[in-house]
Amino acid sequence: MIHVPSPDAFAVFGIERTLDLDEQELEMHYLKLSRDCHPDHNRAETTDDCAAVLQRSAEINDAWKILRDPWRRARALLEAESPGALERNKQLDPMFLMEALELAEEVAHADSEQKPALTSKLEAAIDADFAALRQDVLDGDFDAAAKRVHQSHYHQKALHDLEAKS
Amino acid sequence: MSDASPNNSADPAEPTRIVIGIDLGTTNSLAAVRAGKTPHVLREQGGDPLTPSMVCLHPDGETLVGAKAKAMRLDHPDRTVFSVKRLIGRSATESQNDILELPYEVVAGERDLPRIQLGDQQLSPEAISAMVLKEIKATAEQALGHPVHEAVITVPAWFDDAQRQATKDAAELAELKCLRILNEPTAAALAYGLDGKNDGTVLVYDLGGGTFDVSILRIQDGIFRVLATKGDTHLGGDDFDQLLAQRILELLPSKQGTEDPYVLQAVRSAAEGLKMRLGEQDSATLELDLGERGQIELTVTRAEFEAAIAPLVQRTLDCVTSATRDAGLDLAQIDDVVLVGGSTRVPLVRDRLESLIGKPPHTDVDPDQAVALGAAIQADVLAGNDKSLLLLDVIPLSLGIETLGGTVQKLILRNSTIPTSVSEEFSTGVDDQTAVDLAIYQGERELAKDCRLLGQFKLRGIPPLPAGLPRILVTFLVDADGVLRVTAREQRTGVEASIQIVPSFGLTRDEVRRMMLESIEHAQDDYLAREAIEARAKAESMVRGTKKALQLAELPPDQTFAVHKAVKALEKLLTSDADAAALQSASDDLTKVTATIADDVISAAVTKALKEEQQQ
Repeated sequence: MIHVPSPDAFAVFGIERTLDLDEQELEMHYLKLSRDCHPDHNRAETTDDCAAVLQRSAEINDAWKILRDPWRRARALLEAESPGALERNKQLDPMFLMEALELAEEVAHADSEQKPALTSKLEAAIDADFAALRQDVLDGDFDAAAKRVHQSHYHQKALHDLEAKS
Repeated sequence: MSDASPNNSADPAEPTRIVIGIDLGTTNSLAAVRAGKTPHVLREQGGDPLTPSMVCLHPDGETLVGAKAKAMRLDHPDRTVFSVKRLIGRSATESQNDILELPYEVVAGERDLPRIQLGDQQLSPEAISAMVLKEIKATAEQALGHPVHEAVITVPAWFDDAQRQATKDAAELAELKCLRILNEPTAAALAYGLDGKNDGTVLVYDLGGGTFDVSILRIQDGIFRVLATKGDTHLGGDDFDQLLAQRILELLPSKQGTEDPYVLQAVRSAAEGLKMRLGEQDSATLELDLGERGQIELTVTRAEFEAAIAPLVQRTLDCVTSATRDAGLDLAQIDDVVLVGGSTRVPLVRDRLESLIGKPPHTDVDPDQAVALGAAIQADVLAGNDKSLLLLDVIPLSLGIETLGGTVQKLILRNSTIPTSVSEEFSTGVDDQTAVDLAIYQGERELAKDCRLLGQFKLRGIPPLPAGLPRILVTFLVDADGVLRVTAREQRTGVEASIQIVPSFGLTRDEVRRMMLESIEHAQDDYLAREAIEARAKAESMVRGTKKALQLAELPPDQTFAVHKAVKALEKLLTSDADAAALQSASDDLTKVTATIADDVISAAVTKALKEEQQQ
């Protein structure tokens, strides 16, 4: 079984491919598209919901889920701008992997006193990842951007694990 | 159906299209319609708007529905059917506990589906629901003075795919076109937020006779967006009654009472009355005269009752907390709480909910009518009369397909806004293979055995090509009813693969058609043949899968031996023309043996096997 990637979320929304989306504007746009395309408002008189209407509506809902999350948005942008970039750049720098491993250790051993500081540190790392990613995209260096996505995955996982510790 | 709709009426003021909303409840049902801005419930002149969801097949041959059936429940307890919503879209085995509590007889029919035995007749839960729907339809037609052909029907948000489909089938049997299956809490939110004064984040707590739902919605400029939903299709006021009924039954002189339909029904009714009185008084006394079966006198205090139901109430509160978390919110961010369902009248429920959320519930909405009124509003939207409102609902439970080794790969996650879709590409494992089977599951657990098998999807008509060459694009789409639709296409040839769906629960398309035509002929032979083919295919794939896992897993010799033995036994059966039951039983034996193997060993092997599959 091979997952078939979703259609380009930016194209579904009919918006420019950029990482910098105003979240409130995006939400308003989503609601407007939903109003226009939802099967409830586009029923054929005598038949069931038409497949094309359902498919369009499904694409809008799925694109919203992608675009509203900055990291999923980034992945969608890379997939559209440079197909295969994410797949090609899975090999990460050994130095980075060492650091990621140390971070994971730190999370595993963190007690409740160390937790707030470590949380801030990880959040800062994720913000820095995203800032660097944005610059890479602006520079048109999609391979570097893809690496950032994979790197940040480690930071996000560490943060997630830390939050799960009670 | 447009030929019979009131389109050609002479009265120009008459609406062109009437779509009603129906709340098809466990205990009571009712219909509503929206003409103009405000919806109203439909009732017979001077009648009660609530119709008991009960059907009595009287021994004299008459079929009674609603209040008339309810009046018969003590005279003919074994022929008066109620709470059928607890059975619809489920198997007899799953419903075992419910069946034990019911005064009428339920037997396991074909494919382990529950069948209600009334005299010499066996009826499906869908057929009983259809009778209730017909009654509601007749009441609505009388109140409106027009024929009704279309409806929006509500179901608990927590209903899965099979239960939704079964409800649609019931509508079809009642000759009602079901324009939309609508989630009950969402419907209630629509009734609550219609006037636009209540924009914000609202939590709907819906505790009915048999089911519990909680949904969190954001209401904003006429758009009602469900953020998360959670529930339990087996938790409701009936369970409160049952706890009281158990106390009453314990006092019976003879223990045979639990098998006597008359006693069960009389005790059930008495328990319900006791519960209602305990809502208003600190204690209530019951004097029950069962004639020669004995007399009972029992006093229950409210404190005792509340202690008994507290664990059930706590289960609903746990759902509230987890739905709020799923919505990405804190309880403090809930602006308002809407109570729906008759069981929210129980004081303990209100008190506990208020102290959890920290604000008193909204009380302007009638808990008995809100769902039907909301359904009527949605019906009006679907009829094309109101473009200002829009509902965006979610799928309550994740959908996935079974992969090698019995794990479920999730395709669509719970709380995804519907419609939603996902596409996957599949190929074949052997040369010239023209069919692929997919098993679709619904649920949150990792292993297929812990989720509900919704059905088997068989892709047919794949062009014969070497193994791995066909590329079959399968699209799983959950429609606005929350029901799954699957389409498939072979990518190289563009051939549309046909899909045969064998639902695990409820009626097959053929069964609905058959019942519609009231055909007497039973396609028993067809069914047996199909069953044998399926059992064979399943057994074959188990043999293949287990062999592969055996090669990869490093098992202790005794376990390897046991697995080998079971595989050999199944292989031997496959070379004979064994029937479905024999194949099934041998397959079950193999499953039992493999299940005892340490999970981690198997999962390591399965992961490895899966990777290899993917590389092929």
